[in-house]
Amino acid sequence: MNVDSWLRRKSLKSLLLAGMTLPWLMGRDALAQRMNSGLLLTLEDMVQPIVKGAKIFKKDVQIEAPILADNGSLVPLEVQVQSPMSTENYVTHIYLLSQRNPVTQMAMFQLGPWNARANVSTRVRLAGTQEVVALARLSNGEFCYNQMEIIVTESACVDAS
Amino acid sequence: MMSARVQWPEKVRADDIVKVRMLIQHPMDTGYLQDLTGKVVPRNIIRTVTCHLGKQEVFRVEPSSGISANPFFEFYIRATVTAEFKIEWTDDKGMTGQHLQIFNVT
Amino acid sequence: MNSNPITIQQAIENVGLDRRHFLKVSGTASAGMSLGFFLPERAQAADTPQLNVWVEIEANDTIVIRYARAEMGQGSMTSAPMIIAEELDADWKKVRVEYATAHDNLRTKRAYGDMASVGSRTIRNSQEYLRKAGATAREMLVAAAAQKWNVPASECKAVLSKVTHTASKRSFTYGQLAADAARLEAPKTVQLKDPKNWTIIGKSIPRVDIPDIVVGKRQYGIDTQLPGMLHAAVAACPVFNGKVKSLDASKVENRRGIVKVLNLGDFVAVVADNWWRAKEALREVSVEWDVGEHGTLSSANIMAHFKAGMEQTELAVARNDGNTSEAFSKAAKVVEADYFTPYLAHATMEPMVCTAWLQGDKLEVWSSTQNPEATLAVSAATAGVPQSNVKVHPVQLGGGLGRKSPQDFTRQAVMIAKAMAGKPVKMLWTREEEIQHGLYRPASLMRFKAGLNANGKVDALHIRVSAPSILATLLKLPLPKGVDGQAVACFNDHPYDIPNNLVDYAQRNTNVPVGFWRTVGHSQNPFGRECFIDELALAAGKDPVAFRLDMLPNNEKSKRDRGILEAVTKAAGWGSQLPNGVFRGVAETEGYGSWTACVCEVSVNAKNEVKIHRVVIGIDPGYAVNPDNIVAQFQGSVVHGLTAIFWGENTIKEGRVEQSNFHDYRMMRLNEMPKVEVVIAPTGGFWGGVGEPAQAPLAPALVNAISAAMGKRIRSLPLKNHGLTLKA
Repeated sequence: MNVDSWLRRKSLKSLLLAGMTLPWLMGRDALAQRMNSGLLLTLEDMVQPIVKGAKIFKKDVQIEAPILADNGSLVPLEVQVQSPMSTENYVTHIYLLSQRNPVTQMAMFQLGPWNARANVSTRVRLAGTQEVVALARLSNGEFCYNQMEIIVTESACVDAS
Repeated sequence: MMSARVQWPEKVRADDIVKVRMLIQHPMDTGYLQDLTGKVVPRNIIRTVTCHLGKQEVFRVEPSSGISANPFFEFYIRATVTAEFKIEWTDDKGMTGQHLQIFNVT
Repeated sequence: MNSNPITIQQAIENVGLDRRHFLKVSGTASAGMSLGFFLPERAQAADTPQLNVWVEIEANDTIVIRYARAEMGQGSMTSAPMIIAEELDADWKKVRVEYATAHDNLRTKRAYGDMASVGSRTIRNSQEYLRKAGATAREMLVAAAAQKWNVPASECKAVLSKVTHTASKRSFTYGQLAADAARLEAPKTVQLKDPKNWTIIGKSIPRVDIPDIVVGKRQYGIDTQLPGMLHAAVAACPVFNGKVKSLDASKVENRRGIVKVLNLGDFVAVVADNWWRAKEALREVSVEWDVGEHGTLSSANIMAHFKAGMEQTELAVARNDGNTSEAFSKAAKVVEADYFTPYLAHATMEPMVCTAWLQGDKLEVWSSTQNPEATLAVSAATAGVPQSNVKVHPVQLGGGLGRKSPQDFTRQAVMIAKAMAGKPVKMLWTREEEIQHGLYRPASLMRFKAGLNANGKVDALHIRVSAPSILATLLKLPLPKGVDGQAVACFNDHPYDIPNNLVDYAQRNTNVPVGFWRTVGHSQNPFGRECFIDELALAAGKDPVAFRLDMLPNNEKSKRDRGILEAVTKAAGWGSQLPNGVFRGVAETEGYGSWTACVCEVSVNAKNEVKIHRVVIGIDPGYAVNPDNIVAQFQGSVVHGLTAIFWGENTIKEGRVEQSNFHDYRMMRLNEMPKVEVVIAPTGGFWGGVGEPAQAPLAPALVNAISAAMGKRIRSLPLKNHGLTLKA
């Protein structure tokens, strides 16, 4: 784990304890030569447009994806959210967020009790090694999330990590 | 006309929780890349995909350029009664696609 | 099936295991089993305590230090362990270096971190965690000793693989402490040594792989031998991105030794019992290729394509400060020049080679790869097996140079292994295949325009690049603001104090695939920039060194540009009298986190033969871990660089590369090699790369000297196109 990766994790982990409102954190600016996709976003940057200041909890969400992706154009990603998916308590939306892509929100899934399981899979494009975040919105308005670092092996030449 | 494929288990009984797998043929051009003559391939992304069972919407996804070409989605639904499963999608160019398949529930 | 003892020995060396250890467990492995999969992971061996994933200490005091990247002659298999050994306070004589593997890394959730040997990054990106690993292990050993003596750890000292209790003079060797130390909890924080106390880092320790190389024992990827192994020769479409339309193998199918002829879509493979037979048979397989629309591509229409890029109205802007157009209109003098550098194949001495063995859903790969994790991921995906079922066995690379980081050849080998399921297959490219199926350094057209005021000061600089984008085509990455950082390397971040700057980029891709040639953008852009700076010095009537020093601002970063420029020009005696007919040239640039400079002394005779009298080249890498290795990197860079500067170019005709082997893609000869004087001037406080920046200032320094000698500017490479040759 090198300094860049460590710093990135540090900024993503810090202050996102259960129930705390997110303070504003500076996005790390990157040298054009190394971070070819520009800014490496903080978790706060990534979720803010969606949660708009609401609290987020790191729980109940699992991300299944390869740690090593052979190809940044086709990375399988599965998200599972623990939820009864009953009419009183269900997941309404799952957001897949990218730390580094030109477009942060890779996809938004809309679900309901009829889905019985808050479990979605897809294949994403990742512009280099980065953290991906799965953010779930619940029917009671709460948000929970998880994150995972995916190494895009072919882009090692340009990743700083 | 773009095509889609959708798959679920052969035998579906009422109240089963069924995994649905869906693949849509679409280049999902990001708009960032050029062809080999140097011309930018304009952005053309599927904006919305909806799935209906009969009249009820059972799944919706709004992809972005971050979803791979030939978008693949997998989700679950609780089977109730036999109904028509309909997938619809629209892309940046305004092109729409549709796929129909009977969702048989025994 | 009996295990041939020689094969076992080679196989052991391939997987880097201790022979004694292997023999202990070989009794339990039945004959005929795959040698790779059934050997227990060394880290779990009961008799070798592991202090952390990087350090294991044997009872006989041997310290096993792991190296997690590739070794391709750049020497970091020695330098990186030196860093661990330093903090560990190890006696280097007791150190044995072993590889960490990609499958180890996957199994331990990437405890070894990044494993790619690219971007001159091994030392500078891993030094912090390697130092911490060494220091952590040291503190555990000290704590174990302190516990045994029942004294505070602060009263104990670790030196040269021994812990001593200062007061009582009692001591234990690391071997004696290892088992106890391994049981302790690792400290959460550790104190790292002050660089001025280093005793290993900074020493010219001989490379750990050299003895085996010298006696021919070192296992390169090309040396892989396995029981029952088959050999494959391959040919992809000579026109890039073409596909196989049909093939006729009737002439060779039933030949002795030919096992199978495979049509794998975008390439053809002949599998045989030895490589010569495979390669010869391949020549007689007639393939009809579908070249699509790319069969008419030529160097001429590529140049037209680049020139059109220069004139295009929509450009990606990498830098725009001040107002260049206004500054140009007010300038006393405007200087303009176009520079060009060609496509270059890597020509690693060992061509692309990969051995793959698929048994059921278990895959073993021996690939000459710069990126073992990419090899693992691509192999698994190609074979359709889980990543946890793949073992990538480390081998030494006969040159990487950036060609062996992409996994195109690994993919081919695994596809062949899949078709020959159950048998190991070694796929090796011919030299022709390597030269003609490269991932070439992008050819680049560069336009420079500067405005000088009446005093010869540069007020405005506009640099435009029209060239392919490696990031967009090879890696399919979106470019921030449309800019490929490699295409504008050292342009948008030049060190000079110029008030108005514009750097723009026209992405001009072609059907020629491009990739990372050693030093990448810094292998060609400094040539353009530093030669143009000389043109400006000439226009201003100033000495090229003084001109540069005047333009460097007084800040933190520029003091390093200034420092290395002064160190190298001083070593070269810049300004002192030269014999008649001998001229000097200079260049300076930052690259890969280090600062480099070069001065060349040349004379050019009436036959246009260039005699290089001196090459004085230097670097400030922050810290110099192994000075002799840095010297070696410079010497190698000069060989690689002069080869490219004088003769290197790949031209395209009818969609294919015209060159095919060393007769038309000439390499330097031994007798042509000039003496290289290396200046290592580390200023401390940062960690910069060495493997690639070494090449950055050479071309401009040399061409500046040649231009001075000839009284005319040379603005394109290779020099042979100007009628120039290198005099032995």
